Amino acid sequence: MKKKYLVLLGLLLSLALALSGCAAGLTASSWPALATDAKNAYLAGGPYVYAVNLQTGAQAWRFPASASAANPFYATPVLTPDGTHLIVGGFDKKLYSLDVQTGLSNWQFTDAHDRYYGGVLVVNDMIYAPNADYNLYALSLKGQLQWTFPADQSIWGAPVSDGANVYFGTLGRKVYAVDAKTGKKVWMQVLDGAILGSPIVLKGKNDLFVGTYGGTLYALSTTDGKTLWSKPVSSWIWAGPVLDGTNLYVGDANGKFVAYSASAGAKVWKADLSLNGAIIGSPCLCGGNIVVGTEAGTVYFIDPTGKILQTIPLSTNMKVYATPAAAGILTLVAPTGGASTDPVLLALDAAGATKWSFIPPK
Amino acid sequence: MWETIIVTPFTNALLYIYKLIGGNFGVAIILFTILIRLITHPLMASQIKGSTKMQEMQNSKEWQDIQKKYKDDKEKLAQEQMKYYKDIGYNPMSSCLPSIIQIPLIFGLYQSIMRALAASPAQLLILTRTVYSFFHVGDLVPLNSSFLWMNLGQPERVYMFGYAIPVLAVIVAITTYVQSKVTMPASTNPKDQGAMMGKMMAVYMPLLLGYFALTFASGLSVYFITGNLIGIAQYAMLGKVNWRALLPGQKPAPVLATRKK
Repeated sequence: MKKKYLVLLGLLLSLALALSGCAAGLTASSWPALATDAKNAYLAGGPYVYAVNLQTGAQAWRFPASASAANPFYATPVLTPDGTHLIVGGFDKKLYSLDVQTGLSNWQFTDAHDRYYGGVLVVNDMIYAPNADYNLYALSLKGQLQWTFPADQSIWGAPVSDGANVYFGTLGRKVYAVDAKTGKKVWMQVLDGAILGSPIVLKGKNDLFVGTYGGTLYALSTTDGKTLWSKPVSSWIWAGPVLDGTNLYVGDANGKFVAYSASAGAKVWKADLSLNGAIIGSPCLCGGNIVVGTEAGTVYFIDPTGKILQTIPLSTNMKVYATPAAAGILTLVAPTGGASTDPVLLALDAAGATKWSFIPPK
Repeated sequence: MWETIIVTPFTNALLYIYKLIGGNFGVAIILFTILIRLITHPLMASQIKGSTKMQEMQNSKEWQDIQKKYKDDKEKLAQEQMKYYKDIGYNPMSSCLPSIIQIPLIFGLYQSIMRALAASPAQLLILTRTVYSFFHVGDLVPLNSSFLWMNLGQPERVYMFGYAIPVLAVIVAITTYVQSKVTMPASTNPKDQGAMMGKMMAVYMPLLLGYFALTFASGLSVYFITGNLIGIAQYAMLGKVNWRALLPGQKPAPVLATRKK
């Protein structure tokens, strides 16, 4: 009879494993995000935040000391204005302040009820932390909660600010302007699709630019949220556009990459990168060029006139979902999806040659 | 292959129902579970019929005599069992084959619920690639995952008096237990291994599914509860529900198999 019990136990365990496997859809998964200062690159990816020396590509530190694969980092890490601390939120519902020299945490904010997908905004000695629990948390630089703004839905993108207000979009297709000091709603605007990425504000012109999952690029007035102009793109927009002061650059899921005039929304030029997959991350303004990564694992260097300068295919299976980052003369790219022996961070020079690559130590 | 044949069509059907009923994912899960159970009802009926026949057979004196007579000769025992199957018109595959066919459908249903909930950026990206082109993916996001007091994308808790109470997990465990008890065929044979296994399953399955309900998204719990209630209804429709089994000390009268004339 013992054998029968063992068989039954085995069957139940198999069922448990099978269901757990099926539930993989709910287990944590992410792709990396980047920040830089003069000394290090900071890569939040997988279960760790790494500090990587920009000269050598060697690991300076990593956080936490022992990590859980179920709680990776997805949100972009952000440096405080004095450059001494790195603020980053994780899937473990915690927001961490890390010493950039040591990687040790000097405080944690644990009031949020869900994961951090969006990077924080640090401005005027305040931290604005968007969370998937529908709240925007405003904290002091010491991690003390100042106010909480409840939105209609999860906030996946980093907020932006013009000094007076904080602007952010939600999965509920809404863009909010919230008073930066008090956390009171100034206005709210409904758009045609979820907002997964970060808006961008053109200071002095009172313009706010937002890309939507409905496949539209909007210019809104920061004064009242009214639409100044809108342009349909060929597919959904994941991350937000970037702005060089004159033009807006935005990529979509069909791999179309377009430059629009920020003032009127006129198309300036278009680069069709669709043969090499969807554009998920925002482009980077790196060293006077625009750098774009695609899902098929190709990195493009494009000049401001739309001419493709470099086409750099990465190793097989590598995808570029993360927004590249500028680090002096280097462009940092954080691919994902490669083998465990593949690098998770590449430093490219202006010619697209790899200066160093970082493979996390086991 | 699994993705193309099962998960993708199931996810799209679930999302289609969701759109059709005006964007309530909880109701969509319930309706889709009912739909799948209706489609697989003939298999379920066949399985119930086969199980009942097997139970009848194991309760019969002739079967028990065969077991006693050939207990030391396994080869002969197997031959006599096969002969007995033939005599009473029982196909040994009739009780397990329908279950085997249903298992991938149940797993597919489960996976499609998880896929559609898309609780993180990486999962949303996968969902985006799963939906058929006739859906405008921008219209589907965000999925309205609120249902009654729950967020279907998160494990459920009700906060009362400072305690987080997993109400849905308790309901999942109770309905699983009730389903196991009322649908368990009666047996008078103390050595009936099927009955013993059934009793063990009535204990372990509620605990296991209750644990899943406690840990995973509450959309899954809605699916478990709906599946349990439909399972009871299916047995009831076939006249195979034994409510007395829920009462302590109650033993239903067994039915006996008869040889074909």
